[in-house]
Amino acid sequence: MDFTIIIDSLPSLLKATLMTIFLAAISIVIALVIGFFTAIIRILKVKVLNEVANTYVSLMRGTPLLVQIFVIYYGLPQIGIALDPISSGVLALSLNAGAYLSESFRASILAVDSGQMEASMSMGMTYPQALKRIILPQSLRIAIPTLSNSFIVLIKDTSLVSVITVTELLQMSSLIIAKTFEPLTIYLVAAAIYWILISFFTKLLDRLEVQSSKYLVR
Amino acid sequence: MTMIQIDNLKKAFGANEVLKGIDLTIDKSEVVVIMGPSGSGKSTLLRCLNFLEEPTEGIIQIGEYQVHAGGKIDRQRKKVIRELRKKTGFVFQSFNLFPHKTAIENIMEGPIAIHGMKPEEAKKIAEALLTKVGLGDRSDHFPAQLSGGQQQRVAIARSLALNPLVMLFDEPTSALDPELVREVLLVIKSLAEEGMTMVIVTHEMNFAKEVADRVVFMDEGVIVEQGTSKEIFLHPKEERTKQFLYQVEAIVAD
Repeated sequence: MDFTIIIDSLPSLLKATLMTIFLAAISIVIALVIGFFTAIIRILKVKVLNEVANTYVSLMRGTPLLVQIFVIYYGLPQIGIALDPISSGVLALSLNAGAYLSESFRASILAVDSGQMEASMSMGMTYPQALKRIILPQSLRIAIPTLSNSFIVLIKDTSLVSVITVTELLQMSSLIIAKTFEPLTIYLVAAAIYWILISFFTKLLDRLEVQSSKYLVR
Repeated sequence: MTMIQIDNLKKAFGANEVLKGIDLTIDKSEVVVIMGPSGSGKSTLLRCLNFLEEPTEGIIQIGEYQVHAGGKIDRQRKKVIRELRKKTGFVFQSFNLFPHKTAIENIMEGPIAIHGMKPEEAKKIAEALLTKVGLGDRSDHFPAQLSGGQQQRVAIARSLALNPLVMLFDEPTSALDPELVREVLLVIKSLAEEGMTMVIVTHEMNFAKEVADRVVFMDEGVIVEQGTSKEIFLHPKEERTKQFLYQVEAIVAD
């Protein structure tokens, strides 16, 4: 292994890491919104929308992410919807993660004791009020471990977007390897960066979990 | 003055009819204890009063709010039910305190969420209520840090914070260790002395004798017999009442 290659390629790799973080961050925000509303629709069994939500979750969980990326980037232009690589990537990643997150949200909302909703309603709260003030703060704590898991998967899944020419960490690594012919070194550096990145976010979410569980400590 | 009026209240879960036409009128400041064997429908009756269960048939009126059962669930009806709930405090067997909020925050929740009160104002009310239920020194404790009896007292204070016309108690001491029952009953008794209108479902016979203006005995979805606690406990008329009281050892057979 040649350390000068690592040092030389590091600036480009770190820059590409920013793209990876960007993809993950935007996608997780959109996925959280999609996941939340999908979960609410499925819990309340809203007419028509419930069927749409069920189908959406089933499709996203039942097909490979790579296929979804191809459909969006290569397929949609055929019916006149041409998105640039980054938008296609973000769309695929957030739709995919949204489906998984909706399941976490749904489970965590349903896991809150039904007495909590009854107590809120018996006070005269509206359903949205009870959800926001009483149920969600408790379900979020329950959801954090699985949310954290989805977020980790999402960070790793950004690497799949490299196949549609988005220059994120993996794509950049391949570009550098094409010039240096050092696949082992560069891919190991890339792997190390992913690992550091994910460890960082895992720590962050762990801390959030501890903090949000404070009220349970005797 | 009539505070609660229940007309021909029925509730069925599928084919299982739990309430078979209940008529009950309760005056202001009256304390009514409902008792009866498990499965008699007493808890369902209480939950119907707050629309935690939707009755199948009948009319419920609490104060000025009247709701017909089985009506169309439209916005107007939901609103009336919400107003009715704001005016009735409901105390659960399992307390149902909000675990992520401290004792004082639990009590502040209603005034803030329902009455739109400022937190500082709500805090004053909550502090006074906590002191009233004897927990002035526990305001910053989370429910998990309180005993069952303390939790139930906080739950009562939480209901009182909305200035209810009526308090409904659904077996408030059934989930408590025996030594914690008394502290909760004392709080309920003090409310009776203040003239609060209350409907209490309980198995505490001695407590019923102490505070009830009227005892209602239910079995299999109907009111079997009602009267003053003396009438019910000393001279029950119906065979089913006698049998029940004998079983719970409230009277000794000769």
